Parts: sequence; structure tokens; C-alpha cells
Amino acid sequence: MNQNDRVTTGRTWLGVIALLFALLLLANQANELLKQIVIAPGSAAEIGTAADCRADELAEEGLSLKECQLMVSSVQIILASSPPWFRPFQIGLSLLGCGAALASMVAGFGLVNDSPRFIKLGVISFSLLVLLDVAAFTAALNTGPLLRAQYLWPLLLWFFIHLCLLMAAFKVMQQESRT
Amino acid sequence: MSRESVEQERLPKITVMLHWVLASSVFFLFASSWWMLSLPLPSAEFTYRVLPFQLHKNIGMTVLLITVTMAAIRIADNGNRHLNNPDRRQKLAVLDHLIMYLLIAACCLSGYLSSSYSGWETSFWWVLNLPAWAEENDDLNILFSGLHLWSCWALLAVLTLHIGAAIYHGIADDGLINKMFRL
Repeated sequence: MNQNDRVTTGRTWLGVIALLFALLLLANQANELLKQIVIAPGSAAEIGTAADCRADELAEEGLSLKECQLMVSSVQIILASSPPWFRPFQIGLSLLGCGAALASMVAGFGLVNDSPRFIKLGVISFSLLVLLDVAAFTAALNTGPLLRAQYLWPLLLWFFIHLCLLMAAFKVMQQESRT
Repeated sequence: MSRESVEQERLPKITVMLHWVLASSVFFLFASSWWMLSLPLPSAEFTYRVLPFQLHKNIGMTVLLITVTMAAIRIADNGNRHLNNPDRRQKLAVLDHLIMYLLIAACCLSGYLSSSYSGWETSFWWVLNLPAWAEENDDLNILFSGLHLWSCWALLAVLTLHIGAAIYHGIADDGLINKMFRL
């Protein structure tokens, strides 16, 4: 395999992996956006309304009474552990995350198509994703322990995934500049 | 087949676009459904599930329309493109796609039927109110809900194989996946 073939192969697999993670991230960010829209301060769970656990609903969902009651508690956990700035911050961050995920999808597309100029878009979008992960991690770090337990580990995983993609994109860009 | 001949094969642009819209939608449906089922059961006060469920149904119905369109394009396209002596890998790829189309259709239809028997109304993208053609029926709701669940798990298993094969061909760089990346 000569240097040119190696660069093309590197670009292709990076494109495929980038696209797969971009799809997963897009779903993740869109779901986070939905979460933040749905779980709003001042809603029924926060004002202490008791869970409505009818027997027929429990049978339909295959839930125990305890689980049904804890579903309200899980919303209360999110609301109680979120500082007032957290929700608008997360909404903005997940919108940006969706945009960056779409940009890395486009980069992945271009890389598989052997378009060398897309490597720059790859580097930009992966850098943006790394920065967004850092921002999200810092934000989660400043919430209560209950939210930290939910957010920190998945964010760390995403951070390292994006760091790997960024380093791979840098390497491919370096190889391309040599050929 | 050589890398060059595989690379020269082009799929209709609309198929490539629909494939990626479908992929994004299916991933989002999985992620959001696992989360939304942890929300409090619906009542007059607890309305947390209204938006996620309505969105889930809308995307699901759109996914069904996309799948039907893609299947129709594929059938029409295969009429113009005959594989001479397909090898085992090509036969497996055809089977993978066939199973995937069937499972996506099964997921969407069972979900729609379950919703229809649940007594909840469905508004297609908040524009078109779909007629409530079924009476509320808990037994049928539970039946179709079970079918929805299991067909979606089966879809996830087939999707995993599909993505695994795509990564394999991407790393092998044999040109096979390029046609799905070319507009």
C-alpha cells in the first residue's frame, strides 16, 4: 500500500466512523433538547402533585405502583438539582450540538467521497464538538450531585470519542499535506 | 466485483438523502422512546408525555412513508439493474435490506395500531388530525404495544449487523459503501 492509498483509506474509515457517531450524537442532542423543553420548572412534579397511578395504566405499562410513583420523583430530581441557568444553557448547547453533529455528518460524507477539502470541515466540526463537550461537562459539574451522576460519565465518553476523531482528522490532514 | 466498478454504481440522489434522514430518525426514535417511557404516567396534571409521544408518532409515521418510498425506488431500480450471478455477500445484503424494510414497517404499523387502540388522538405533525377509527381497547393496545416493542428490538439487532457491515466495508475501503455517500 503506497502513501496515497493509505491516506485515502484513512480518510474513508474516518468518514464512516465520524458519520456513525454524528448520527448517534444528533439523536442524543435532539433528545436532550426534548428533555429540557418537556421538564419545565413549575410543572406538576415540582409543585408536589401526587402521582396518578391507575391500576389499568400500571398493567398496560407493566409497572409496579412504586415505579409509577418514582417516575414523578425522577422529574423532581432533575428540577431540584438544576440551577436556574441550567435549562436555558442546555437548550442552547443542545441546539449547537445538533448543528455541530450535522456539520460532522457533512464532513464524514465528504471524507468517504475522497474530497480532501472536507478534512478541514472535519477538523473544525470535531474541534467544536470537543469544545461543546467541555462546556457541557463544566455546566454539569456545577449542578447538584443528582444531575452530575446522570451527565458527567456520558459526557466524558463523548469527549474522548470526539478527541479521537479530532486527532485522527489532524493525522489525515498531516498525511495529505505530505502527499 | 472490482473497487472501480462498485464505485461507479450510483444510487438515485433521493435514495441517498432518504437513507440518512431515515437513519437519523430511527436513532432519535430509539433514544427518545427509552427516555419518554420514564416520564410520569399521563393525567390531567401530568402532561409530560404529551409532546414526546406526539413527536414519536409523527416521526414514526414519517419513517413509514420514507421506508415505503425507498422500497418502491429500490424495486423500480432493481428492474433496471440485474445482478448476474450474485455472490453470497450480495444475497445477504439483499436479505438484510428486505428484513430491515419489513421490520421498520412492522415497528411503525404496530406503534400506530397500539396508539389507535389507546384512545389517544393522533395529529400528523400538528396539522392533520387523523380520524379515530378504533374504539379504545386495552387488550389490543397491549397486544400491539408488545409487537411494537419486540419488532423494534429485532430492528435494533438487524441495524447493528447493517452498521457493522458498513464499518467493515468502510475500513476495507472496497468502495462498496461509497454509493450511499454520493449525492
